[in-house]
Amino acid sequence: MNLFNELRIQGKLANKRNPMFYKNKSAKVWIYIGIGFWACYLIFFGALFAKAFGEGGQEAYQVLNSGLIFILAIDFLVRFPFQQIPSQEVKPYLLLPVRKKRIIDFLLIRSGLDLFNIFWFFFFVPFAFISMFRFFGFFGIISYLICIWLLFLINNYWFLLCRTLMNVHVLWVLLPIVFYGGVAAALFVPKHSVIGDWFITLGDGYIHFNLLCVLVTLLLIAALWAINSKVIKGQIYKEINKVDDLKIKHLSEYKFLDRYGLIGEFSRLELKMLFRNKATKITMRNVLFIVFIFAVVMSFTPAYNDAFGRYFIISYAFCAVGSILTSRIMSFEGNYIDGLMVRKECILTLLKAKFYLSSLYMLIPFILILPTVIMGKVGLLYVVSMAIFCTGAVYFTLFQLAVYNTQTVPLNTKITNRQSSTSMQKILTFVGMFLPMFLFYAIEKFCGENLGDIILLVIGLGFILTSSIWLRNIYSRFMKRRYQNMEDFRFSRSTI
Amino acid sequence: MISINNLVKKFGDKIAVNIDSYNINDGEMLGLVGNNGAGKTTLFRLILDLTQATEGNVTVNDIDVSKSEEWKKTTGAYIDEGFLIDYLSPEEFFYFSGRLYGINKGEIDERLKEFEHFMNGEVIGQKKLIRNFSAGNKQKIGIISAMLHRPELLILDEPFNFLDPTSQSLIKHLLKKYNEEYHATIIISSHNLNHTVDICPRIALLEKGIIIKDLQNENNSAEKELEDYFNVEE
Repeated sequence: MNLFNELRIQGKLANKRNPMFYKNKSAKVWIYIGIGFWACYLIFFGALFAKAFGEGGQEAYQVLNSGLIFILAIDFLVRFPFQQIPSQEVKPYLLLPVRKKRIIDFLLIRSGLDLFNIFWFFFFVPFAFISMFRFFGFFGIISYLICIWLLFLINNYWFLLCRTLMNVHVLWVLLPIVFYGGVAAALFVPKHSVIGDWFITLGDGYIHFNLLCVLVTLLLIAALWAINSKVIKGQIYKEINKVDDLKIKHLSEYKFLDRYGLIGEFSRLELKMLFRNKATKITMRNVLFIVFIFAVVMSFTPAYNDAFGRYFIISYAFCAVGSILTSRIMSFEGNYIDGLMVRKECILTLLKAKFYLSSLYMLIPFILILPTVIMGKVGLLYVVSMAIFCTGAVYFTLFQLAVYNTQTVPLNTKITNRQSSTSMQKILTFVGMFLPMFLFYAIEKFCGENLGDIILLVIGLGFILTSSIWLRNIYSRFMKRRYQNMEDFRFSRSTI
Repeated sequence: MISINNLVKKFGDKIAVNIDSYNINDGEMLGLVGNNGAGKTTLFRLILDLTQATEGNVTVNDIDVSKSEEWKKTTGAYIDEGFLIDYLSPEEFFYFSGRLYGINKGEIDERLKEFEHFMNGEVIGQKKLIRNFSAGNKQKIGIISAMLHRPELLILDEPFNFLDPTSQSLIKHLLKKYNEEYHATIIISSHNLNHTVDICPRIALLEKGIIIKDLQNENNSAEKELEDYFNVEE
């Protein structure tokens, strides 16, 4: 028990003393605000579903229970950016005179007791009170909530298992896809779904604290625990010594950039940074995937045939692609900032290359959105105007972060929970993301669609044509703050 | 070449560097020695304008390093891995570094030949990104990239660290040859007294940020004095 407490305290200290919080108190406040926002969001949906589901032939709790698998699937997905797996956490403890199995067991217990596993209570508690109280009273609700927690524990250990296996081989990604996809298919494909009935029965069992249901749930937790423990133990050294790109088959040279001198050289560096590091590659891929889905849905379905589609989706497509890497501008370079700073005007050339390349990235959402234009959902002028405005005004806003971003972001690790943004990052990213949406809406309402689009297109062009001026201004301001920035980059680099 | 004037660097209350006046002449090869925390790396960072002086300044060829960037064209430095772009292969990193000084790929290939023995067939043509190299080979990559554009001023922090004995010997010869051939000013720091005494005609001993001894080291004459300083009788 002493060991458990010692390691628990160490884990708490590691979080508390993480440089992202240690040197950035506002980050703490923003994180609490973020948690509060999502909690309110879940409470709202819990109450909403309890009211909305109860209008058919079935009670709301029966409808929800039949679809519990979807909530578990969402929970599974949400865990990816936030949850570390024990095989990644075990390294600092390996030299302790303690059996590896004990350490793994501790990490599994810590994972099970994580408050993350009860975050869904913000949804289930209001839902249960509104939809069940009149039928089963207080004890029914308590019983249901305890069992729901056990269900999320299963999901927790199931996630750890899948994630550990995915680190062994990427094809293990098929395991959760087949599982959740299979259950979803079993729910939807047959006319009368046995699986749906089974989930309703399980839910009822939870409400009545049916011993068989509870026992099966506990057995599943125990089984997943045992499998996790065995698999993780076998993977510890593989995970510690893991090198993904030990030998590169083909190194891209991007020779076409040779003709652009130093700007071309830094553009080449940018492209290599984007494609050779997990943090940048995964982030970009995820955003493009979301934009692609939005574009397909908007183009070929009646969904989003409204102001939401016109203003939010289109603007999101450009702003998300624009902001996803630019919001962390210089934070990636924090890894080798000293090397850049001992070379003359490197940072200015880097900023220029970043701007030109980021402007070219805008072609990707533009191409993805084109089917929407072809299908007549939005006009070409509107999309061109949005692309130009985002390239000019949004990048102008986001590039200011080159002066204020001072936290080194590790390049070749997946972005996990040990990262947060500064206030300035949040504010400017928020402005960059939502300003175009509101501006287009307001100006189109005021001047009409075509004139409004032309006005914003001209404003965007203005920012693009004056980019060399404002980029030099950013560079001068960066140089004025360089000592503070370099100290912070070095400090955060040494602690990641 | 380098002039240090009333230079003070404080971290909070702690004084890391405190040097009234110190000059390093053109073509000199200076060794900087001192125990951990003596202020060697901080002094290098001050010379390279990577950290702000609390008081005073450093000039390179009469240019205040904090006021102008002109000195950067003729300076090469390697302090730690923060100088390496680790998602590039060594070749890519060398070409990139070279182009920043206007040197083309062909010329870089030519200059790399001088380091062939030092690289020992373990750096070039490995199809590996820098992040996957050993600490020793990363050190070699950093040192070579600092020397490729043939700078007039070369600053290396602990260049012998992580290197095997053969590579340590080779880098000593390379630095000496470079100093003689190009009349370059070289400043190195090291905990290895033998190597420092072997190649540096002038040695500065740093203690708590102050240069307490400025030793001329003709025919290894500083060796005895340094040994006396570092050997603590129990």
